[in-house]
Amino acid sequence: MKEQDAPGPERQEAPMDPSLWRGLSQPRLSRRQVLASAGTGAGAMGLAAFLAACGVKGNAAPSGSSPAGGVGTEAWWAKQQLHHTVNFANWPYYLDVLNGKHPSLQHFEQTSGINVNYTEPINDNVSFYAKIRPSLAAQQYTGFDIIVMTNNTPNALGYLLQNHWLIPLDQSMMKNFYKNAGPLVKNPAWDRGNKYTMAWQSGYTTVAYNSSVIKNPGSSVDILFDKKYAGKIGMMSDVYELGSIGMLALGIDPATSTESDWAKSAKKLQQQKSDGIVRAYYDQSYIGHFKNGDTVVTQAWSGDIFQANLNSKYADLKMMVPEQGMMFWTDNMCIPLYAQNPKDAMAVMDYYYDPQAQAVVEYYNDYVCPVPAAKEVLLNPTGWAQQALKDLKPEIGLPTSVTANAPTVFPTEEYLKQARNYRTYKNAEEVKAWNDLFLPITQGA
Amino acid sequence: MLFLIPLVVMLSLSLQTCNPATGACVMTWHWGEFGQQLSLYHTQFVTSIYFAGAATLIDLLVSFPIAYWIAFYGGRRKNFFLLMLLVPFFVSFVIRTVVWQFILSDQGIILGGLKNIGLLPQNFHILATGWAVIAGLAYNYLPFTALPLYVAIERIDKRVLDAAYDLYATKREAFLRVILPLTIPGMFAAFLLTFIPALGDYVNQQILGGTGDTMIGTVIQNSFLVSLDYAGGSALSTVLMAVALIGIFAYARILGSRTIEEYL
Repeated sequence: MKEQDAPGPERQEAPMDPSLWRGLSQPRLSRRQVLASAGTGAGAMGLAAFLAACGVKGNAAPSGSSPAGGVGTEAWWAKQQLHHTVNFANWPYYLDVLNGKHPSLQHFEQTSGINVNYTEPINDNVSFYAKIRPSLAAQQYTGFDIIVMTNNTPNALGYLLQNHWLIPLDQSMMKNFYKNAGPLVKNPAWDRGNKYTMAWQSGYTTVAYNSSVIKNPGSSVDILFDKKYAGKIGMMSDVYELGSIGMLALGIDPATSTESDWAKSAKKLQQQKSDGIVRAYYDQSYIGHFKNGDTVVTQAWSGDIFQANLNSKYADLKMMVPEQGMMFWTDNMCIPLYAQNPKDAMAVMDYYYDPQAQAVVEYYNDYVCPVPAAKEVLLNPTGWAQQALKDLKPEIGLPTSVTANAPTVFPTEEYLKQARNYRTYKNAEEVKAWNDLFLPITQGA
Repeated sequence: MLFLIPLVVMLSLSLQTCNPATGACVMTWHWGEFGQQLSLYHTQFVTSIYFAGAATLIDLLVSFPIAYWIAFYGGRRKNFFLLMLLVPFFVSFVIRTVVWQFILSDQGIILGGLKNIGLLPQNFHILATGWAVIAGLAYNYLPFTALPLYVAIERIDKRVLDAAYDLYATKREAFLRVILPLTIPGMFAAFLLTFIPALGDYVNQQILGGTGDTMIGTVIQNSFLVSLDYAGGSALSTVLMAVALIGIFAYARILGSRTIEEYL
């Protein structure tokens, strides 16, 4: 049990500047390594030593089943105190905005006295993970008390869980969560018992088609493999989305799939590509190509189709609820290890399970809401949310009932039934096996 | 040092074995990474060389007349014309490429119109083909070809041309035997500045390309940002650099290094 293992709060007693602390504890070239590098020109041995000294440094992950030092245990949480400040990292356009301020966050700050430093540095799971990884490996504060990571990306949230780099949540501070969380995000497959994560928002990855071109789409993901639309079909370049929909087409549940199932999926997708059915493998840009008419059938995120339909020009773009199911992903709030304000973080996370707060967020972003009771607030606004929704209305330009009645925001029975989970990978080897199967498809020559 | 340190780090990383979950790397002198990556991705290397080469050739053919015209007939407005050439490039690289995506889209302003009047079959498309990628590369790197060529042509002493005409050279002969040889160093610089960045480009293919035309830049980007395979990505980058260097030396030899040295 090393001293650095204990995150922030205790450190405050010592009158030491945190930045100085970080500087002192960062791994750097040792004297011997520097001397070796000075000999670079002297010969191959010098160069060899220098090469060995360069590159990415990182310590091994803590072993055992939970973070070292009793972090996240009841006793540990009992010692934590509120610092009235918290650093919250989220994805862009994911929280209600009005005139540069966040109404739901402002209400939290006023009622709780906790100052939230809200930033939007996350554009991509893996590259954000790559940015905080060196800090975590060096047992340092990442600068964030709350981060939001997607469950379908094993080499971000998956690695954080495997490395025990998340602080187990204080279950006693999750009162709103246990009262209001919906069935899709309570006790989810990727984090049993919500030990480490609470959902921020979710969404479906499914099939969308252009109804002005396709009159009888049917209700099967097989439409993505239909030669009739060859060259007009868009697939996603994300290997986890791609591999999963391949399995749905084969009638395999991705969540319980085995490596031989993955190979079957890869074979089917490879065939789809060599038959000239796929136009291209797209990132977020798929929606632009779909709107332009470059593709007529595409893998799609439910939120994008909902947003596109709000414009009458794109009313023909329709989302399908395939009989084989739709992939259900969730962006999860979690507390990275060595966070300095864990108790404040818990307060923010649980606050967003208040139906009023969630109604305001949902009116702005239209993803799948983790709190079913927010629907009632959107239909009959009460309390502070009434004013906030009213203020937001000119900005959004739609009645709140549109959001309340959207099945992509508040899933119907059918939507709940068709939700399928992604595979939860056991280790880095499984992730590599998956990538080695599906990356050659998206980046083939 | 500024150039050397990243290079050494890259070479070093390509010989290490990394744990993608923790980011911990251990030096293992694992040269096998090179062979493994090459056997997986040699076709993407070939594609990249072909695309970058084609784009460079197009750029040379397009920008030579432009540079020639500005240098000889630009008069007092030379700077204005050069500015005009550069204006589109004040816009971000990615935005410019995305705009092409809109212009070239299947039902977009060009193809949509031609299809409506029946000049093109309905299923014709340019996007998602290798041609779109080559065109995108050629467009994006055009100023890097045009400007060195302009400088080279501009430096030609006009009296040399007069002398050629005095010796009864035709316009064609004067161009082929006087102007062209004098611009070779400029062409070399233009080639370097266009071919090398185009070779490692990973934006155009992703925005304009289709399924069978992945360039090595995209593979390297995915190694770092999708698989977190730093060793593999570094190995590929090292090979890419080696390929580029060999290409440059071969090209320099063909052109004759003396003229180039004079120019540099």
